[in-house]
Amino acid sequence: MALPAAAEARRLSLPRAQVDPIIILALATGVILTFLALYPTAMLFYGSVSDAPLGVRGRLTLVNYITAYADPATYRMIGTSFVFAAGASALSILLATTLAWITIRTDAPGRGLFELVALVPNVLPSLLISTSWALLLSPRIGLLNVVVMRNLGLPPFNVYSLPGMIFVEGLILTPLAFLFVAAALRSMDPSLEESARIAGSPTLQVARRITARLILPALLAAGMLNFVRAIESFDTPAILALPARIEVLTTKIFREALSAYPPNHNLAATYGMSLLAIALFFVYLYRRATAVTEQFSTITGRGYRPQVIALGSWRYPASAVALLILSLIVLLPFLMLLLTSVLPFYEVPSWGTLKLLTLKHYRFLLTSDRVHRAIRTSLTLAVSGATIGMILASVVAYLTVRTKIVGRGALEGLTFIPFAFPGTALAIGLLWGYVRFPLPIYATIWILLIAYLTRFLPYGLRAMTSTMVQVHRELEEASRTCGGGLAVTFRRILLPLLLPGFMAGWAILATIFMREFSTSLFLYTPRSEPIGPLLYHLWIDGQSGRMAALGVGVSLVSVVLVAAARRIVRTPLTREP
Amino acid sequence: MWFRRMVWAILGMILAVGVVPVAQAQADLIAAAKREGKVVVYGSLESDIFDVVAKIFEGKYRVQVEYFRAASNRVLDRVLTEVRAGKPGFDVVLTNKSPMGILKKEGAFGKYTSPSYEDYPAATYDRDGVLSPSYRIVVVSILYNTRLVKAEDAPKTLMELLAPKWKGKIVMPDPTQHTTTAVWLANLEKIMGRDWRPFIEGLAGQVGLVDSFIPAAQKIITGEFPLGITYVKYVHVFGKEGAPLDYVRLNPVLAEAHHVALGAKPVHPNAGKLFIDLFTSRLGLIALSREGEFVLVPGRYPPIKDADKLRIVMMDDLDDQELRRWRDEFGKFFLKR
Repeated sequence: MALPAAAEARRLSLPRAQVDPIIILALATGVILTFLALYPTAMLFYGSVSDAPLGVRGRLTLVNYITAYADPATYRMIGTSFVFAAGASALSILLATTLAWITIRTDAPGRGLFELVALVPNVLPSLLISTSWALLLSPRIGLLNVVVMRNLGLPPFNVYSLPGMIFVEGLILTPLAFLFVAAALRSMDPSLEESARIAGSPTLQVARRITARLILPALLAAGMLNFVRAIESFDTPAILALPARIEVLTTKIFREALSAYPPNHNLAATYGMSLLAIALFFVYLYRRATAVTEQFSTITGRGYRPQVIALGSWRYPASAVALLILSLIVLLPFLMLLLTSVLPFYEVPSWGTLKLLTLKHYRFLLTSDRVHRAIRTSLTLAVSGATIGMILASVVAYLTVRTKIVGRGALEGLTFIPFAFPGTALAIGLLWGYVRFPLPIYATIWILLIAYLTRFLPYGLRAMTSTMVQVHRELEEASRTCGGGLAVTFRRILLPLLLPGFMAGWAILATIFMREFSTSLFLYTPRSEPIGPLLYHLWIDGQSGRMAALGVGVSLVSVVLVAAARRIVRTPLTREP
Repeated sequence: MWFRRMVWAILGMILAVGVVPVAQAQADLIAAAKREGKVVVYGSLESDIFDVVAKIFEGKYRVQVEYFRAASNRVLDRVLTEVRAGKPGFDVVLTNKSPMGILKKEGAFGKYTSPSYEDYPAATYDRDGVLSPSYRIVVVSILYNTRLVKAEDAPKTLMELLAPKWKGKIVMPDPTQHTTTAVWLANLEKIMGRDWRPFIEGLAGQVGLVDSFIPAAQKIITGEFPLGITYVKYVHVFGKEGAPLDYVRLNPVLAEAHHVALGAKPVHPNAGKLFIDLFTSRLGLIALSREGEFVLVPGRYPPIKDADKLRIVMMDDLDDQELRRWRDEFGKFFLKR
């Protein structure tokens, strides 16, 4: 087609613009992230300085901040939240690192099984784990407490306490930390360990002085994520804090705003903004810790297949330690779930209990249209959401870690803003953000997909960033030197090396999406009800057996998803470099 | 003879003018509801109980029922949010009197007078023609685990809950977030008189708190708490599955009314109306009664022992200002550590 003369002249007179594809990629990513993160965040911020309910035009005011921070109880509550989150995060890192080292790096018997089992609680809704532990450690009917009291005469451990909350939340967070640490251990350069071993260092000293330091970025990433995740957690506090009358930030938000009559979204937004400030502070600390990325480069062109450490006579004790940790994070809660799923009502098991066993809750799963619809909805969200999320996370990780492009810090910061909000508060922002949107997103499965991507992108991003930091630039540079462009270098060099991180992130996102409840609860409609809200409604309807049976079913579906992700990862790892 | 013919003619005209159009209107409503295909209901009635009526409705009219079930305060929150956003996703709402009153004030509902309401006493009608008459009531009492508490040892009055032996053994919903519990505690004043305030303060020190009445019943069944404050209907709802539950025959015992209403901007208005017609009809109420509900049908009681002997006093509803005031008031006692 002929161009108009003026346009043709302009085209010929101007030099061909050399726009770097990285800039186009960064701009497009920036627009998407800004829209995902800032739009609902702005709505929440507006709520915190508005004197009208969310969605209703009001005047600007600071009265919500005055109400929140003039109350001395607020400071006690924030202090309790910090103790809870820090304790739970530290416990999760300790357990995950021990378990991951035994499972990935040693020849302890059963380690293959341990690794698969360790992923099970990651696919269990936290609500179910909290409930299971309430039944295991309730002062009166807790199975463990009853056993300890009857056989040892010791006083019961009260799970309805701050130590109880830290214990349960720490166990819930361990599998996520395990995925991060295991991915790092699997991808690390073994030459440094070999050098230490040749120099005569014993195995434990190598683990402590070499391995631990090499996986420090992954530990920092996991610790930071778990701290923020704990401080925004509502599932465990909802089950354990309310009976203990312990107040943390999320229960305060729930109590004052989302469970109040009438609801006070403004105060929820105010406390949500406080959580955002806390999270941003920890992101800042994290970025400072990982500012010099080169020092953490542990995958080089020389080889990246870590060797298995022979423990000798310590093999079986190592397996016993792994089994103990797995019992706490998986076996005991899962057995309690199984038991609940075959009892008409939970009671402390006795010989008489055997007569009551029933499969009626599983029959309900097979016959209920509502259950089938929820599984279809959640599977659709998990597979499509995790795939879209990881592609976006890969691009963001590449831009923030591998390039020096202006504004890359802002890109990463954008993905962490929604992470800081409790699911419930963010859901309100999303609801109002999308309710008047020109496209039909509100009250469809799309709003759930957008909500999941917005809220959980940081999880995928951490997995990709941790892996990308470890891949040395020399491989990429070698490709470029040999004439490989951006696309070729990404496809043939970066992608195979990043695949373990990509699939680890995919597995994390898919399993979170399968069980997500606190955000979905506000956004779903009966037509698009995912599993999380269904589990919750079964619980509040007193159908704990059905909830447990569905929990068991969902876990099996999620294990299949994780196993599929691992199978894809295994291929490049087992290939000789 | 001519006189008799004239009477029959007049009666025929009355029938033609009155009954035939009514029947035609009902047929038109059914046809329109079928074209709409479904009805979306938000409510706090337990899903299993609701499903019994929903199945009758679906079987009779071939119109699908979608049900969103949540605690009354969550229903209030969801409906308010959608109404203020201008995108209500519900056709029908059913929950306790106080939240229904707040939602009515917020303009969430439209006017609808179902033909089924004719069977209710005129005194129960909503003067604005928005809310249904109270079609059922929820009765609140002390429930206990019969394996852990013998009937003769169970408290006979509310004041007996303050005995030292029950300290830490009673479970109830948190009145600072559960509307019906707040309304129940506030209404106790009219039957307890001067004992009310010491009772509230004493009770706050005796109890463990949960989200709503169902988790309270659950904890009694599991034995985590031997007794608690919750709905009497759970004696049947969970008892028929083998749960060891019984209740204290308080005299009097307080109950809160439930209502149903059509949305102001329903997506499926005809299906919504048809659902309300059946739900509040004798057929719907008897189905609810069989599931353990106390319904407003004379002489009809749920299959719960002594349900017919209870002296029931209806609670007064609280508006949003009163609910907020009581929430703050109860928070001083129940949330203090």
